[in-house]
Amino acid sequence: MLRKLAAGAAVAALIHCPASAQDAYTIGLTGALTGPPASTYAPAVEALRVYLERVNAAGGVNGKKVNLILQDDSAEPGKAAANAKKLIAQDNVILLMNASLSSTYAPVVAEAKRAGVPVLFASSVCPKDVYPPADPLEFCTTAFAANYDSRATLAFIKETAKEPVKIGFSAMAIPLSRGEMDFAESQAPGLGMTVVDKEVIPPPTPDYTPFATKLKDAGANWVFSWAPWVTQVRTLEALRRLGWRGEYVAWSHIEAEGELARLKDGRFYVIGANALFQDELPIHKEIAGAAKQAGVPYPAQQMAEGWIAGMVVEAALKAAGWPASAEKLAAAMANLTVDTKGLRGGPIAWTKDNHFRTRQYYRVYAWDEAKSAIVRVKDWTAFDVK
Amino acid sequence: MQLAVNIAVLTAIYALIACGYVLVYRVSRVLNLAHGELMMLSAYLLLVTASQFGSHWAVAIATALGLSGLVGVLVYLFLMRKMTGEMVLAAVLTTVALGILLRGATVLIWSAQQHYPVQRLNITNFAIALPGGARISLCAALLVATMILVYSSLFAFLRLGRWGVRMRAAGQRPLLAAQRGINLHIIYAMAWGLSTLIGAMAGMLIAMDQGLDQTMATIGLKAFPAALVGGLDSLLGALVGALIVATAEILLIHYVDPLLSEVVPFAVLIAVLVVWPWGLFGTREELDRV
Amino acid sequence: MSRQPRASGHFRIGYAEDLKLIQTPLERWALAALLVVLGGLPFLASPFLLDLANQVFLASIGSLALMLLTGYAGQVSLGHAGLLAAGAFTVGILAKELGAPFWITLPAAALVGSLLGLLFGLPSLRLRGLYLAVSTLALHFLVVYCGGEYEARRGLSTGIVIDPPSIGGHAVTSARAWYFVLGLAATGTLLLSLNLLRSGTGRAWAAIRANETVAEALGIGVAAHKLLAFVLSSLITAVAGALFGYYRGFVSVEAFSLFLSIQYVAMIIIGGMGSLLGALLGALFVTLFPYGIEAALGALPGAQRYAGALFAVNYTAFGLVMILFLVLEPFGLVGIWRRIETYFVLWPFKYRPLAGRPR
Repeated sequence: MLRKLAAGAAVAALIHCPASAQDAYTIGLTGALTGPPASTYAPAVEALRVYLERVNAAGGVNGKKVNLILQDDSAEPGKAAANAKKLIAQDNVILLMNASLSSTYAPVVAEAKRAGVPVLFASSVCPKDVYPPADPLEFCTTAFAANYDSRATLAFIKETAKEPVKIGFSAMAIPLSRGEMDFAESQAPGLGMTVVDKEVIPPPTPDYTPFATKLKDAGANWVFSWAPWVTQVRTLEALRRLGWRGEYVAWSHIEAEGELARLKDGRFYVIGANALFQDELPIHKEIAGAAKQAGVPYPAQQMAEGWIAGMVVEAALKAAGWPASAEKLAAAMANLTVDTKGLRGGPIAWTKDNHFRTRQYYRVYAWDEAKSAIVRVKDWTAFDVK
Repeated sequence: MQLAVNIAVLTAIYALIACGYVLVYRVSRVLNLAHGELMMLSAYLLLVTASQFGSHWAVAIATALGLSGLVGVLVYLFLMRKMTGEMVLAAVLTTVALGILLRGATVLIWSAQQHYPVQRLNITNFAIALPGGARISLCAALLVATMILVYSSLFAFLRLGRWGVRMRAAGQRPLLAAQRGINLHIIYAMAWGLSTLIGAMAGMLIAMDQGLDQTMATIGLKAFPAALVGGLDSLLGALVGALIVATAEILLIHYVDPLLSEVVPFAVLIAVLVVWPWGLFGTREELDRV
Repeated sequence: MSRQPRASGHFRIGYAEDLKLIQTPLERWALAALLVVLGGLPFLASPFLLDLANQVFLASIGSLALMLLTGYAGQVSLGHAGLLAAGAFTVGILAKELGAPFWITLPAAALVGSLLGLLFGLPSLRLRGLYLAVSTLALHFLVVYCGGEYEARRGLSTGIVIDPPSIGGHAVTSARAWYFVLGLAATGTLLLSLNLLRSGTGRAWAAIRANETVAEALGIGVAAHKLLAFVLSSLITAVAGALFGYYRGFVSVEAFSLFLSIQYVAMIIIGGMGSLLGALLGALFVTLFPYGIEAALGALPGAQRYAGALFAVNYTAFGLVMILFLVLEPFGLVGIWRRIETYFVLWPFKYRPLAGRPR
């Protein structure tokens, strides 16, 4: 009976939620704003928020404001499902964005499909469904992409290595990272590399040395890691402490720029699709200025990913016109090209059956010990996405 | 050789953390499941003192250690003292709740990002070459040294020190001890302070060696089987338990499958508990008296 | 459990009456009103609210199961999330590999749950209290490890997607349909628990919880009843996990963290140990709590700025509330409920008479 009363109270508390503004584009995002993996996603979401605030301050899109509703899922699938349900059913969003761990994709996509709302993966890894032939409702702007990243990395290693490559892999014990390292492992022999070891490391690990010991003892002269930043960099540090002198390639997550400068390691490469801020493009200065003005708690270097998502959202809404519906927006997104102003190697181009981008560009950076600065080791290399 | 070094380091980590569980359990029969979080809090405190006294690393570490001990005492005085005499489960759950609170609070204050206390302290965590081609980092070496120091002084303290003897007495028969004029509250507060202090040493050194983020709290939980394998109320047990669990873990990582390192401590735990329900060195608790 | 008088002037004469579930007219009316409200809710509430209600139903099944084990039989378990995961993965794997329909997967989940319950009930014959709690923790790690391995080996990095179950050719997808399915499941669990507890099994559990040696001396099969408690509780929990998998349409290890186990323990603590009503109240409270915090934060000016702190605030507040309950209200929500009830039953008096307490 108390249950009834409490339920009644909860109903009362939840029913009077503010009605979404009728004269604005309402879009929603569920993301790991907080929680253990938040350091990868929160800065991107913050950048997106700042970008759209600037758009609104400048008069909005097609003369209408963009109303971004943020929902935190702390990377929990159950919470993400509830968020998606709320954003769609209650806030009537025309675009659902995901910035969280891969385990949240399935529930979010399921909800979105049921309602016919397009889903945009921004700063979370691109699911297979956005590659050709793409799912009509799923889109992705994120820099990192399963399988293509490994191909690009292995190509880079093959080109750079002077001696025969004995390669080791380091993954975090999460399905996505393991899957990618398995893929890389299967590709390496075809490029004339010897696979000597693959370590799958559980996330709460007090000491990375035992795993590093195995990589070192296996005789690897190259190690490739495609995992959350913690695993990538702690494996490297443990290897170095063991006196390993080989070369290490890791994915250039948003932390990369600060970390390259911290580690000052000449044989540590980061490969990625985003231009680092040391390139000092005009757009970088713009982002840094906006971050400073908005008082963002994250370094500006970490905001490129969210900025790109913002540019794409703005362009998509513009193309969809006013009044926009989820259906119109999805149609507009299926034929969209957005200039990334140098943040990426080329534009983000979506077609009817490719919702990733037609070409993916990679750049490699490393620390130059002589110059004591981050340098570009290899400039944009394009991979056609088929 | 490197294998032996790895085992030694992991043993040191587990032993230092397990020691915190044992100290509190031994005197008050409460299992402190917030130990990992308290350890993490201490490491974050080091971050604060490091930016305060950046140039004097010794001052920063000493201040952070002092603060951590104080936190432990305060936790007892303001929280656990209220739970004395309650159901043991309720007391344990209070520590769980404290842990959840601390996790939230640390994210609120320090964000979920990676921190590197070593950098702020201006220390280089260089590697030391050992005979046999093995290498150990400075902080890892300090971990092993701290473990030896902590355990030998604890053994001496509990056997010879006036307060140590009181502590043991309070753990064995609280009622009798109280009647003999031992102030139980001071003893309990001391146990909490000491336990947090030792956890802080482990937490700070791990953070200096590896970096600091929210996973630190989970490491506390991983050390937990070590304490149980040895018996929750035995210091020697904690040491032996840490050695067993660490050895099993390292050997399995090296020779079988690294993924097992998550499950192994608990598998070892089950195996031991089925044979010795109170751990290897734990005292049998009389729960069944009518 | 000393039974309180249920209403002024209402006395129970004889055991049969004591065992009745509905004893007074007020109870009958209140129950009817509750049923009307619960039955009418899906036709009034928004899908989001229905989703919340469904979550509460799911949580209730799990918390009732845990309450049977911990609150009545006195066996502490920290492996609850592992059992939920076991149920969900049974469904996921069977549906994925064999395309099995729900009337095969649900019993299979129940079977897996009861087997796991038996396996992890065995240490309880030797271990007590905290040692037991930790051995159940091992269960959690074991199941999650196996589930993770399955996902990784099959390349299902974003979790296993499950098709909605179909009953008589109708796929259960809408929140309203699920509301009735889960509502019935929760009610069924509640009735099962009520009946178990007023039978010999329930009394045996109570005796074991109070004192094992005495229970043994009274001729109660302690080992058998302990195992029964583990098996039943695990069975129900695994079914709850299976329903969770179907409801969400996917299964992945990340959904079953250790924190989930702690949440379930929190449900029975906050609700009130040793009371089925407590399990329900706790499930309601713990499930809705984060949404309450979110609504409260959202009501503050400049809500978007706090969005980034939500998880931290939620965590902090959850820990704080748990501490407050443990320190200030050891009997939980049900303690508050009983005090209010007693207030009305005894009115205009404040205290029950010391001698000759009415039973």
